[in-house]
Amino acid sequence: MRNSRPESPVSSIGERLSGADPQASVTQLFESMRPDLLRFAHWLARDRSLAEDIVQESLLRAWRSRDTLKDRGAARAWLLTIVRREHARLYERKRLELVPLDEALESQAPAKAADPEGDLFTLRNAIMRLPIEYREPLLLQVLGGFSTEEIARELALSSTAVLTRLFRARNKLRAFCGMSPAPDVSTSEAPS
Amino acid sequence: MSCEQARLQIGADPGNSTAELERHLQDCESCRQFRAEVRTLDANIRRALERPPTAAVTARFTASWRPWALAASVLLAMVAVLAVWALRPSDTLAREVVAHVQEEPESWLARQQVDARSIDGALRSAGVRLDITSDRITYAQSCWFRDHYVPHLVMQTGQGPVTVMILRNQHVSGRRTFHEQGMSGVIVPAPPGSIAVLTRGGANLDAVTAQMLQDVRWLPDAP
Repeated sequence: MRNSRPESPVSSIGERLSGADPQASVTQLFESMRPDLLRFAHWLARDRSLAEDIVQESLLRAWRSRDTLKDRGAARAWLLTIVRREHARLYERKRLELVPLDEALESQAPAKAADPEGDLFTLRNAIMRLPIEYREPLLLQVLGGFSTEEIARELALSSTAVLTRLFRARNKLRAFCGMSPAPDVSTSEAPS
Repeated sequence: MSCEQARLQIGADPGNSTAELERHLQDCESCRQFRAEVRTLDANIRRALERPPTAAVTARFTASWRPWALAASVLLAMVAVLAVWALRPSDTLAREVVAHVQEEPESWLARQQVDARSIDGALRSAGVRLDITSDRITYAQSCWFRDHYVPHLVMQTGQGPVTVMILRNQHVSGRRTFHEQGMSGVIVPAPPGSIAVLTRGGANLDAVTAQMLQDVRWLPDAP
């Protein structure tokens, strides 16, 4: 069970460090980003407890590799990348079930028109239902602030493939929100 | 630049533009409209992602994350959980109802009467009709709950606002009361589904519950 929040290795290390130790500020830097990391992991993993595990493991990895972080201004993107990779590792291991959005859309089509506009709850549901190949680049772009090229590098895809996935992600959300989706684009998704 | 190329660029990254895209938009009304729509959607996506997903949103996905590696222990735990659910089916339902209502805190604050058309819109998508006058309803939405759209209403009573959720697809075996997160409520069977009635204060729910049981009409052609 993952009901209780595991003890933070970063915090534990930080508690052992004196205030004058520069490593303590790294700890503080990482910890200050924990809420953002947790939110990102939660949207990726769709499970609060699992997201906490992912963030905890990611912070531990980050701490071990802290010397490779040369620019503290890039810490957020660096940590988000670690979280994404930790989630991907978990995803590979567990072969997680996907909920096909298209099927959901078909079954809900009659009700969509009646859904009030701007219903964030509906939109959150739709985002959760996006298959991981669409949800992941969307989260990297919107929550992480990554550029198309950065997402392409992170996901080992071509920039065109990333553009296509982002387009399709929004197109599916449009459909879910009752807007007519744009015609799909026909592009290659070959890895970069 | 073709319309397909323009829409790919807009749909993929609505916040950015290029000179080539701007030139295309100058001459293409439909792509301009498409960009306006996608930008509105994108603003809502950002708002939606500002907060972590709530328990109500993640509920249906959680079960799919259980690892196969712990099959024996997980199976045992699931048997125990299922046994609990079987004995007290509405407890989980109550928690999700409370979580949903918490997701829409503005619903309690509405004081303006909702017009009949809006009420009808909230009810129709769930295959429900209500035989009551609308002058006491100050909130009426069609909300996504457990894979279905359900009417989420707030009614003003002499003891404060009362929330009503009409759950056509949620079956309960008997009347259940609950107290969670500062709310108290009741879920009652209303074949083929059920009705949840909640209050944040001390409002007596019996009258509203009885009225809803009397006034709810299930339409045969529900989605």
